[in-house]
Order: sequence, then structure tokens, then C-alpha cells
Amino acid sequence: MKGRLFRSVFRVGWPRTRQARLQAMLSSLVLHLHPTRVRVHVLRPSYTLGLGLISFFLFVVLTVTGLALMLYYVPHPDAAYRSMKDIEYAVTFGMFLRNAHRWAAHGMVATVFLHLCRVFFTGAYKPPREFNWVVGVLLLLLTLALSFTGYLLPWDQLAFWAITVGTAIVAYFPVLGPQVRYLLLGGHEIGAAALLRFYVLHCLVLPLAMAFLVALHFWRVRKDGGLTAPPARLHRRVPAWPHLVFRELLVFVLVLVVVHAAALLFDAPLEGIADATRTPNPAKAPWYFLGLQELVHYGAIFGGVVVPTVIVLALLVLPYVDTHPRGVGVWFAPERRVANAVFAAIAVALVAVTIVGTFFRGPNWAWVWPW
Amino acid sequence: MSEPESRRRFVAVAGTTGLVAGALGLLGALARSVVPDVLYEPPRRFPVGRPADYPPGSVTFVPERRLFVFNTPGGFCAISAVCSHLGCNVDHEAGKGFACPCHGSTFEEDGRVRKGPAAWPLPRFAMVLSRRGELVVDTRRTVGPDFRLKA
Repeated sequence: MKGRLFRSVFRVGWPRTRQARLQAMLSSLVLHLHPTRVRVHVLRPSYTLGLGLISFFLFVVLTVTGLALMLYYVPHPDAAYRSMKDIEYAVTFGMFLRNAHRWAAHGMVATVFLHLCRVFFTGAYKPPREFNWVVGVLLLLLTLALSFTGYLLPWDQLAFWAITVGTAIVAYFPVLGPQVRYLLLGGHEIGAAALLRFYVLHCLVLPLAMAFLVALHFWRVRKDGGLTAPPARLHRRVPAWPHLVFRELLVFVLVLVVVHAAALLFDAPLEGIADATRTPNPAKAPWYFLGLQELVHYGAIFGGVVVPTVIVLALLVLPYVDTHPRGVGVWFAPERRVANAVFAAIAVALVAVTIVGTFFRGPNWAWVWPW
Repeated sequence: MSEPESRRRFVAVAGTTGLVAGALGLLGALARSVVPDVLYEPPRRFPVGRPADYPPGSVTFVPERRLFVFNTPGGFCAISAVCSHLGCNVDHEAGKGFACPCHGSTFEEDGRVRKGPAAWPLPRFAMVLSRRGELVVDTRRTVGPDFRLKA
């Protein structure tokens, strides 16, 4: 009886033979996302650094912790801040949950960006993978949008003024900017309507879009022939069970360990309740937008509109312009010296202005030394 | 084209057109519903107290309205405290003008930009004296630098 029940769920038992291992991969929904056999080349941690996988696992952690937080959080200006205090001090493990959600979100912004860098430096966006690169760029934008909408929810000073600055940047976009801001806020100022809209976007609209695009992204990896490898190494494969599956499990465990450690060691910030009459000095956007804020300091149109638009458009058209199949599947291929140098220069510049905005800017956005 | 075939074609075209039109209408209605018609926000035209509340020559920050009320020798005027750059509240220092804590813009005493990144002056709002003798600011109407309300 027990055998039959078990078999009704798992067609193949614990796979011991090579044939059973291939069958196991095919007969389970989750495992079937994987190929039955996988290239040895892409299994080396030094090739992918596991960044895409880490990003996905962080998204899973964010979904689970986010659902738990939703049971206590109330998206209204009269109650939001108090419910944050409740989560921190009146909910068992509430502080831990919030910390985990916060640090996983920050981590995901970082790993998604690094994943993009990895894909670029290994030339993995070349045909036939152009479209999956585009999906990846959209996923990066969604990650930023999710982080940004989540940033308002605590309804503290940090949240309020970061979103004030962020939505003011939106209004600089020519023609449609002010209308989009009005739509985003549900009015002229950041109040109850804005909080509710950000809440719905953060908890429902953007995660659903994210889940859909993540599924598309994974599916395309399979359809585009798996992860890239140089031609000479395309054909050496091993069964995905256990070589891939257990590596993924290991990465998942590592992600959980790091998120737990961060959540136990560092508390997420919560400043005083949002107050439209008092601007903190300096008022800073979330760290991943501080590069943008630093550029905005030089000129709002230049930093807030021109630079981000050009970067996103360049990322979107890149795989359709740079189609030469040289140097695919290895890091920093010599044939791609120019492309890699240009990309590295832009990435380093972005990181540099972010560091300047985060650590070197004090009251009135004047230059300060962080020590 | 034989008759049944052209009929089939007509039905297909009409059906597809109807389906697309219906879907677009539904999407349009959905998009329109997202634009709020009623705003539960503070009014954009509001009293800020009596002229006597503001001593001659004073500059007063009205925090809940995010603006400054000037009582100059020529009369009253109101200047927005919301930085024209990215929406932070500017600080006022007597005789030195305004400074924004977010990105370091500074403004002259009359709201003109002294140093960027702000590209536009701080807006100056129209003021009237209500029948009850209160100063009323209308943030929907901006006025030039010469505007003064005699009260």
C-alpha cells in the first residue's frame, strides 16, 4: 500500500541506475525544468558563479518571507508604521523575517546585476540567445521596481524621502513623466493612495510579472540549447541527477545560510515615522539608486533621464547588434576585448558613482570623507 | 470567390474585429479606472492664518503646507518650500536664501536659482485675502516675482 501511494506521487523511486536517473529528471515537474544531461563545462562554479540560481533562490526567499509579512502589514498611512513596529517587536521572529526580506532584496539587486555582468563577459547573449538576454534585462528592471516599491512600505522617513526623490525623477521624463507620476502616486503627493498603489504593485503585480518572466527565462535557457560553452566543450555531458541537482541544492542551502546569518546579525533600518514637513539631511534614495542620485546632482535631465534611458536601450539592442559568434562560453575572451572593455568601463563607472553617492555625500549633498 | 467562401471570410473578419475591439475596450476601461477622479488630499487652496500672525519683515515656514510666507514691506507673498529639483523641502536662512538638503541646490531670497542642479525657481503662489480676513494661498496658480498682497 505504502509502495503504491509513493509510486503515485513519484513515478521513479530514488534513482540508483543511470536509466532511473534520466527518468527521474523527466518525471517530476521541478526536475523536468532541467535537461536530463548537462554540459560539464557549465557545472564548474567558476563559469557561472551560480549568480542566476542565487538570484532565483533569493526571489523564493523573498516570496516566502513577504507572504508572512503581509499577514501583519497594513498599507495605510495611519497604520503602516505602527504595523512595522508590531512586526519588529510584537511578532515572534517578526524582526528576523523583516531582516531576511530586506537583506535578500538588497542581495537580489546585487546578484541580478552581477549575473548580467557574467552573461556579458562570457558572451552568452549571442544568437540564439538574444531574446533571453532581453528577458533578462526586463527581469533586472523588475527587480529594481520591486525593490523600489517595497522601499515605501515601512512608511518611515527613509522610505518617504527616497520615494519623494525617486518619483520626482520619474516626472522629469519628457511628455509622459508627470502623468506617469500622477498615476503611480494616485494623486499629487505621497499619501494613502500612493502607499496602496505601491503595496499592490509590490505584493501582486510585479511578483506575478516576475514569476512569469522567470519561467520564460528558464524555459528559454532549455530551448536555446542550455548554457553556453565553447564549441570544443559542447558535447561532454553528464546526467543532471546527481551532478546538477545536488549542486543546485547546495547553492540553495548556501543562500539560506547567508540570508539567515545576515538577518540574525544586522537589523533592517527603521527611522521615525514619515513626515512630509521635515526633510532629513542628506535625503538619500535606496543605495542601488544612489548612483542615479549622484548623476541627478549634476543635472536632473542628464542623470535621471538620459543616462538610464541610454543604458537600458543599449542593453536591449545589444544582442541584435553584436551577433558575431566569437569568444562565446569563456570569460574575457580575447576576441571580445573591445566589447568587454566598454562594458567594464560603464559597469565600473556605475558602481563608482553609486559608491560616491552612498559613502561620500553628506548634508546638502556636499562631499564628505566616510572616515 | 464562391459564395460560401466569401461568407465564411466575412464572418471571420467580423468576428476577429469584434473580438479585438472588445478586448481593446476592456483594456481601455481598465486603464481608465486606474486614473483617480477623486483625490483625498489636502486642498490646494487653503488659508494660512491672519496677516497679524506674520510680523513685518518675517519669513515663516508653514510646515503642513510646505511653503514659506513672506511679510515684506511691499506686502505678502508665498514661496514653495518644495525644491523644484526633486521635491525635498528647502531650508531658509535669513538673508542667504534657500538651500536644499537633497542635492545641494541653492536659491536666492526671491526663489531664483543661485546654484543648480535645480533648473527652475521655487514656484511663487497666488495669495488673496478672504472675507474673514485670512490669507489664502492658491497653489494651483503661480505668480511672477513682483506679486505682493497688500493686507
